[in-house]
Amino acid sequence: MTLGAAIGYLMGRVRTADRLGDPWLILLLNLPALVVIVLAYIWAGLTEVAAIAAIAINKLPNAVVTVREGARALDARLDEMASVFAIPRWRAFRHVVLPQLAPYIAAAARSGLSLVWKIVLVAELLGRPNGVGFEIGTAFQLFDITHILAYALAFAAVVLAIETFLVQPFERHASRWRQRAA
Amino acid sequence: MFVGPSGCGKTTMLRIIAGLDRDYRGRIVRPPGARVGMVFEEPRLLPWRSVEDNVRLAAPDADEARLAALFAILELTQHRTHYPGELSLGLARRVALARAFAIDPDVLILDEPLVSLDDALAAHLRDELMALVDSRPVTTLLVTHDVNDAVRLGDRIFLMSPRPAHVVAEMPIATPRTARSESEIAAIKTEIARRTNGNRTAATRDAS
Repeated sequence: MTLGAAIGYLMGRVRTADRLGDPWLILLLNLPALVVIVLAYIWAGLTEVAAIAAIAINKLPNAVVTVREGARALDARLDEMASVFAIPRWRAFRHVVLPQLAPYIAAAARSGLSLVWKIVLVAELLGRPNGVGFEIGTAFQLFDITHILAYALAFAAVVLAIETFLVQPFERHASRWRQRAA
Repeated sequence: MFVGPSGCGKTTMLRIIAGLDRDYRGRIVRPPGARVGMVFEEPRLLPWRSVEDNVRLAAPDADEARLAALFAILELTQHRTHYPGELSLGLARRVALARAFAIDPDVLILDEPLVSLDDALAAHLRDELMALVDSRPVTTLLVTHDVNDAVRLGDRIFLMSPRPAHVVAEMPIATPRTARSESEIAAIKTEIARRTNGNRTAATRDAS
């Protein structure tokens, strides 16, 4: 997510980076998650690291695309203001650029999180001896619908908790200056 | 003080002087290490920072006493914690002025700081501006299409022609700003109108 946001920012700001990165981005974005997972398992073995790496690779382009749009929409007039007043680069990034990117970062986090949940289960189902994905796989073999629904419910609870206690407070804080936050 | 018709390149010139526009031929000499304060045509405040934080971001070294004095002069004291979205245009312009003055600039660049304000407010802000400029030695460049502003605020007026822009005349005004009488101001305005030779802006301003 962090790496994706950084790459997205770079691609939104630097024309060359965008040109170089764009084909790779489209490729990664549309590469089926299953392909990445299977390749990761083959190359790195049936390990936890391989699973996490595969999921990160799936998530990366998602963050890149969203944050790139944000970086493209940055207000050049505020950049000029920062440069006239000789605001140091890091301060300008923190106070001028980041607040403009905040909605895009929140969107990337939200959509990325939902994507990751889904892929994690596939990864676990395919190559891990434990985890919810593995359990659901077992339940599938036993036609244990109760088991599957119980896991789905647990997921719903976790996701709602993250949304309520993490993503929404962040958004509220980042957009407190708006007169009517959506 | 630069006076010229709309679209003649006044803002572009200021941008070149401020170092924002590098696509030019010629030479700009700025005193080395000079602090530049700029007021853009629109306030350009950060909407996600309060009035005070907007000023402090540009001027991290400004001490509290100076900021308080500055806010008091510009009548912004009650608005320090407000966000720019809650301010009227006139107030936002004052914040932009406060930001430019807070850094204690060596060069102050003002791009139409009084445009689109009602007459009473513009006159008030003009007085505040004059007081601030008088309170410290600072080279001030002000661009306007309003002859009235130019005559009341300027020490030296450069008249610019419509595109392609060039300086038509340079008029130093000997009388200090605060000592100018109404008749003197009227005389200078007539002189400007004569020199711009029926220039559209001057003509409409004289008529009003």
